[in-house]
Amino acid sequence: MAATRRLQKELNDIRQSGLKSFRDIQVDESNILTWQGLIVPDNSPYNKGAFRIEINFPAEYPFKPPKISFKTKIYHPNIDEKGQVCLPIISAENWKPATKTDQVIQALVALVNDPEPEHPLRAELAEEYLKDRKKFTKNAEEFTKKHSEKRPSD
Amino acid sequence: MNSKSETDEASRGSEASSSNSDPTPESSQEESTPILCADSGPNNTQDIMKRAAAKQLIERYFYQLVDGCGNPNCDNKYCASSGEARNLTPNEAAAEAIKLFYKEARLCDSLPNKIPRIEACRESSTGNNTTENSDKANKDEKNLESPSSSSSPILGGNSKAETSQSVSPIDYKNLSHNNGAPLTEEKIYELCDECIKNKSPEALISAIARTFTKPLILARSFIKVDNVSNSAKEDKQDKESEAMCSSSDPDKDVDSASGPTLDVASCRRAFEYLSKVPSVHYSSSFVIILATLAEYLQLDMRMTKMLKLDDIINCFVIAFEVRDLGCSDYLEVALPALCNAAEHLPVKGQAKLARIWGEQCKDSLRHILETLQQLITLRVISTNYTAGYQLQDDQNVTRATKLMKIVYYANMISGIMESNTLREEPVVITNQLDPLGDALDHLYPLTSIKNLKQAQPEDPLAVELGINVLDARKPYLAFEEFYNEPLSDTIEMDIDFANYKTDISGGKKFSFLKYPFILTAATKSLGLYYENRIRMYSERRVSLLHAVVGASPPMPFLRLKVRRSHIIDDALVELEMIAMERALDLKKQLVVEFEGEQGVDEGGVSKEFFQLIVEEIFNPDYGMFTQQPDSHTVWFNPTSFETEAQFTLIGIVLGLAIYNNIILAVNFPMVVYRKLMGKKGSFQDLADWNPILYNGLKDMLEYVGDDLADVYYQTFRICYTDVFGNNIFQDLKENGDSIFVTQDNKREFVDLYAEFLLNKSVDTQFKAFRRGFVMVTDESQLGSLFRPEEVETLVCGSKDFDFNELEKSTEYDGGYTAESQTIKDFWSIVHSLSLEDKRKLLQFTTGSDRVPVGGLSHLKLVIARNGPDCDRLPTAHTCFNVLLLPEYENKDKLQDRLMKAISYSKGFGML
Repeated sequence: MAATRRLQKELNDIRQSGLKSFRDIQVDESNILTWQGLIVPDNSPYNKGAFRIEINFPAEYPFKPPKISFKTKIYHPNIDEKGQVCLPIISAENWKPATKTDQVIQALVALVNDPEPEHPLRAELAEEYLKDRKKFTKNAEEFTKKHSEKRPSD
Repeated sequence: MNSKSETDEASRGSEASSSNSDPTPESSQEESTPILCADSGPNNTQDIMKRAAAKQLIERYFYQLVDGCGNPNCDNKYCASSGEARNLTPNEAAAEAIKLFYKEARLCDSLPNKIPRIEACRESSTGNNTTENSDKANKDEKNLESPSSSSSPILGGNSKAETSQSVSPIDYKNLSHNNGAPLTEEKIYELCDECIKNKSPEALISAIARTFTKPLILARSFIKVDNVSNSAKEDKQDKESEAMCSSSDPDKDVDSASGPTLDVASCRRAFEYLSKVPSVHYSSSFVIILATLAEYLQLDMRMTKMLKLDDIINCFVIAFEVRDLGCSDYLEVALPALCNAAEHLPVKGQAKLARIWGEQCKDSLRHILETLQQLITLRVISTNYTAGYQLQDDQNVTRATKLMKIVYYANMISGIMESNTLREEPVVITNQLDPLGDALDHLYPLTSIKNLKQAQPEDPLAVELGINVLDARKPYLAFEEFYNEPLSDTIEMDIDFANYKTDISGGKKFSFLKYPFILTAATKSLGLYYENRIRMYSERRVSLLHAVVGASPPMPFLRLKVRRSHIIDDALVELEMIAMERALDLKKQLVVEFEGEQGVDEGGVSKEFFQLIVEEIFNPDYGMFTQQPDSHTVWFNPTSFETEAQFTLIGIVLGLAIYNNIILAVNFPMVVYRKLMGKKGSFQDLADWNPILYNGLKDMLEYVGDDLADVYYQTFRICYTDVFGNNIFQDLKENGDSIFVTQDNKREFVDLYAEFLLNKSVDTQFKAFRRGFVMVTDESQLGSLFRPEEVETLVCGSKDFDFNELEKSTEYDGGYTAESQTIKDFWSIVHSLSLEDKRKLLQFTTGSDRVPVGGLSHLKLVIARNGPDCDRLPTAHTCFNVLLLPEYENKDKLQDRLMKAISYSKGFGML
């Protein structure tokens, strides 16, 4: 199947670039519109594990933005219980077709590392993050240990 | 010698006008105009001619008294040049002039008319004028009062030579003898400054009056400087040819010799400058001046036909650039007079005016429209219309409406127009007879009813301009601004409809339905209602007739009998049979009967029937239509298994709903209505069809880098998902996969993409659908009365949002409950918002202002607490319909923040 050339190119570029924070990219050859990969954050409390995400590209890509969801549960003010995340760079209002997927992933990794409690999806976590950072960190660490995937060794 | 007399005469003129303070020469003289022509009806032309002649004579006496004939040896005691007449104030002079007219006193021969006569004075003036003009120019530099001052003082020293070359001989004549010169921007500046300095407006007013009361000179005012010499040459030729055959129709050579080009911008600047002078000084005089101009123009167009069409148009353009006179007389006197004059413009002239307005007077359109609306509103509100004096008989209103039509088309021209090539193929439906014609024969016996089967002919102005309202993608002013609500509320639609349909007493009955832009959609739908009712009753009448004769009567109604459990199947089978066998029956009044139920259909049952049908057919599970998640709209399923006949039937249902005045809960994107009205979908329609895709494509169009092909890596092969979630590839061109999109072909790509999505991919389904729609509505005036946007309103009703429903279904998060004070305040604020603000709120929280099928309760809105009281604005996650609301300390603050957020949400970056 002649998939969209753009996606094929982006996939090759990302694989070659060897991003540290996004690895293990799996793409079903029959459907290049769905990618899976492992987010590996650097900052505490998420640096104790890794998180599997799925990127869904619409058929109209790149004229419509991709959607990202977390397959691994995460204790994060900007990511809800269902794994949905609201990333401005891929919101319908802000999307620019010239944006490359690696930029999207970098924005996502940055958001995971540094939560933005001003625009939460889970308001109660945002409040905890702002008011009692210690408690938040503790909860998040425990949650990460319990639910996240193993970090790659290298 | 000559020049001495000129200055002499000039100074006398200035004395005359500066000696009196309040009425100006022109105004006092023009005031006699209404008296003279006060009751001249439009039909007694002879009378008008007499009056016009009398008026001309009186004017000649007046000028003779005030300015003199110009002959230094004049011995006429009634002439200022003889020195025997005493200096008169303009008022005295006007009174004296009337006396002299009755006495038939002596008139100096060489005194020119007020209306410039072309042939008469030619020889006498041209010879010595050239020299006279140039040395006079130097002396008169500052003497602006001088009636003989030509255009030379107007322009700076440098351009003097150019001017004297460029003014045609005819103009010389006028300039030297009489007192008008084409106005220019600089001249107005000068006069205004002088007026402010001296605190006396006479100079200004008389200069304006002198020009405005001579259309030929006015038409040459504000001419584009770089065109001056050209136009002068043309003028010369024109004048020569005119002099040779002055009796011939001046309109006929309009195309070959286009007149001088009017510099509208310069004209506008000049009149803007005028507003620096306090308007009390000149407004009332200006109103009279404009009214006089209008009368001249009207008389000329109706009878004398001396002026060229281009000149008349120029006069109109200049007259409508005058603004902010700040007095009610403008609306009551000047504007009606101008409308009256404009009514006599031939279609060709209307088209020219529309083009000039549309192309050069964009900034003035709003003002012109607003004053016309004011005039109409004022008339409608202040007049008590009766059966004997209908709204349609009020010429002030009808003439303003006619002029508004020109503005309407100018507005389209100045906005974004699309090519008129994108047309849906016409649907041809055969074998239909029209019973309405017969019915109207019964209703209006002994009148000449023309062939009513033909749809109303297209507006002649639209034909002349080659404009179709369907092509107006984005008019400069919104079409809604043309609605006049007081008029729409006052109008008696049954009368208007009768006027529309018939030409009783030789036609020419005014009908606002021919000017549909001024009527609101609701009022027009009333017109449609009358049409439909008449048609339906005529059906009944015919069947009654059959019954009397003894023939088996055809059904007067379109009767459907359906089982509630199989509503779609039964309805489709019945409608299909009717459509095949007797399609005409579709135009009868619908009567629905549910099997086994007692209900008699007086409207309620069919309403329910439509509701049930629509609910089921547009359900995506039914497979004929798909839901577009991004825009909450429904679209044709290109891979539907249903036959074409099914789509035809849906079209019939939609048509029946309009025909029977029933509102449907369907959420088609606007492009469907545009396509139904005959315009194919194009790229701009994607904005409504799928806003995200549209924005993505638009972004690419706006991308300027040369590396577009590398960055986008897009070919002419696109991908879309069908209803089953399969990705399907489509080449927009042959070998599309190997053609990359570049800066050069990106527009083509976007157009092909839109063409595929909106037209090609659903061609079969849509054609069938439209066919069904047209079967019901083809002979109605739907197409000529309504714009696509208005058809949508007909089908869906006004989009009123049921926020109570939304409140019930909303969920809360982050510590809020339905009982929280902030939430209670929130809803009380929201329910009191205007429709427009509710729309904005919906747009802000969900990214779309459309209601999803099934109503607002299907929106799944979540309101989440976003921290305690703070200064932040509310924010939203449009992806999940989440509204983040800090717990503001009181209701006022909440209201303030909420309104700010929804009002300034455009381009609002998130996070």
